[in-house]
Amino acid sequence: MSIGNIIAETRSLEIGYTRKKTVSVMKGLSLRARRGELVALIGRNGTGKSTLLRTLVGLQPPLAGEIILDGMALHETGSSRLPRIVSFVSTEPVAVHNIRVRDVVALGRFPYTNWIGTLTDADRMAVTGALEATGMAQLEERSIDSISDGERQRTLIARALAQDTGLLIMDEPTAFLDLPSRYGIVSLLRRLTREQGKCVIYSTHDLDTAINEADRIWLMTGDCVSEGAPEDLILKGSLARAFESPLLSFSVNEGTFSFVRGRQKTIALEGRGKTAKLTARALARCGYTTGSESPLAVKISESGPAAEWILTDGSSEKRYRSLYDLVTDLPDIDQ
Amino acid sequence: MSSGGTRMTMSMAGLFLLMIILFMADMFIGSTHMAAADVFRALFGSGPPGDEIIVMQFRLPRALTAILAGAAMSVSGLLMQTLFRNPLAGPDVMGVSSGAGLGVALTLLTLTPLFTVPAGSILAGWGVILAAWAGAGAVMMIIMAVSARMRDIMTVLIVGMLLASAISAVVSLMQYFSNEAMLRTYVIWTMGNLGNISYPQIRALALASAAGLALALTMVKPLNTILLGETFSRTVGVRMQRTRIILLASASILAGSVTAFCGPLAFIGVAVPHITRLLFGTTDHRILLPATALTGAVILLFSDIISVIPGGGHIIPVNTVTSLIGIPVVLWIILGKTGPGRRF
Repeated sequence: MSIGNIIAETRSLEIGYTRKKTVSVMKGLSLRARRGELVALIGRNGTGKSTLLRTLVGLQPPLAGEIILDGMALHETGSSRLPRIVSFVSTEPVAVHNIRVRDVVALGRFPYTNWIGTLTDADRMAVTGALEATGMAQLEERSIDSISDGERQRTLIARALAQDTGLLIMDEPTAFLDLPSRYGIVSLLRRLTREQGKCVIYSTHDLDTAINEADRIWLMTGDCVSEGAPEDLILKGSLARAFESPLLSFSVNEGTFSFVRGRQKTIALEGRGKTAKLTARALARCGYTTGSESPLAVKISESGPAAEWILTDGSSEKRYRSLYDLVTDLPDIDQ
Repeated sequence: MSSGGTRMTMSMAGLFLLMIILFMADMFIGSTHMAAADVFRALFGSGPPGDEIIVMQFRLPRALTAILAGAAMSVSGLLMQTLFRNPLAGPDVMGVSSGAGLGVALTLLTLTPLFTVPAGSILAGWGVILAAWAGAGAVMMIIMAVSARMRDIMTVLIVGMLLASAISAVVSLMQYFSNEAMLRTYVIWTMGNLGNISYPQIRALALASAAGLALALTMVKPLNTILLGETFSRTVGVRMQRTRIILLASASILAGSVTAFCGPLAFIGVAVPHITRLLFGTTDHRILLPATALTGAVILLFSDIISVIPGGGHIIPVNTVTSLIGIPVVLWIILGKTGPGRRF
């Protein structure tokens, strides 16, 4: 893999707020991210993900420690140089509605244009490049309120890309998106790291895509941040610990969380293939684990044009045309 | 961009032409009937003295004031709408005009009689302007502080209206203690008046408007990023604190100066930026700023012409006309299909 040098680093960083008094959110953060790397910041609500990202881009000062971006301490980087090193996509909604996609992206050229914001040929090329890389070139004339949520997010990513920084930081870019758009955004972010050598740090609640696609995970728990490849964190058990809950269990093999089921009853299942798998799934939701030794049994008959389920409890036998009919007819687990 | 650019240039030129035509029309139409040739003769100083007084002392200052006040008030509204990210923001609806009015009332009703300065003098002119700036700026700061805490557009608007009511209560109290002549000056002032403005006052208004507009012009680049949010603006290098102060100063100077001389012009500040956005179909302040100034001048000239048309020597207050134009626009923003705060 072509992963480059370190572009973002924190040394014993302490983050938090200073209003009337100082509130520390987390301290002792020593994290790294390299060029060409997709970094996912995950953690439960309220662990300080946004605070960390906002501190990294200089929107709020660190309480202690140091941030080094592109080889220079953040507090020594001037306000004209910083926007050329790091760009930020926040969760802030766009208040204007009749602004064109291309004009939004062009505003990313702010650090490079003159006092009135005139675009040069180089600026226009950067804007076109950003629109193409994010797949928004065809929609560039559309207004921001006439495109989908996923496309709007792509527009904001294109704006950050037009800013031409080595480091892109994004706060929950996949929030409120549907499943295909979520995967689309994460695969776009990954492509930017691979094809353009960008370092992308993004926070997310979407564990599946983070575990599958990120090169590195910054995992925030109540008191510390662990980092490593997703699999490192699974092996160490930190991922399971971070999202510990009586309702959830973590499967190391699949790298996913699933519900913990309550009191359970055994049911015998006879059948094959995906029908059997899906039947087991539906039964599990109703509190039945499948085994072989039980008076209660389900047999799948796939001889006809459609599958049929036959439920026997030793004495009687009933037939069902759908899984819904079957599971709603099962005896209640608590009785 | 290029084809759009041509369209913008054409629209701007058209608007400028319209302004010239309306300016001429405003010169030709008045409560006294006068032939076009006589107006021209009076303008170039070769007409009878009676005509010259009407044209040079009444019509010309009136038309010039309409251009200046329309442009300044509209740009003030545009700056406020972008800065507060509130499509219903404007110097009149948010109490900024009232703030300026308080400054004016203080000078007209208390200071002027105290120091026995004649009300129409240049000294009184600049005194009124400075007091109006201070009053407008103070209200602007309060609105800024409120909108930093309250994200809701309507809440900020209600606070602005409450401020306006509070100020008018204070002014009423002051009226109670002032003499009749001063009171009449003040009441006429509140009706919005483009006439009765002397050339030195026009010069003061022109200087102040030019300063306010120049200040606004240096801010077109940050104004565009503010549309995409404060966080974004800061991460591309906009110094928000400084930008905010300059924009507030510019909006206060523009609205304050106009209010000082012409009274609280109703609905120009809130409505004209929307009419301009609709005409030009853009949110880019490089175009919006000059276009809003031109549209404002055109609409106020038009309102002024309408206000003398009824004939019979009567002139209806210009505020009546601007309200009739402005209120439908505001209603359209509130009731528009995308709901309040969505149209920008």
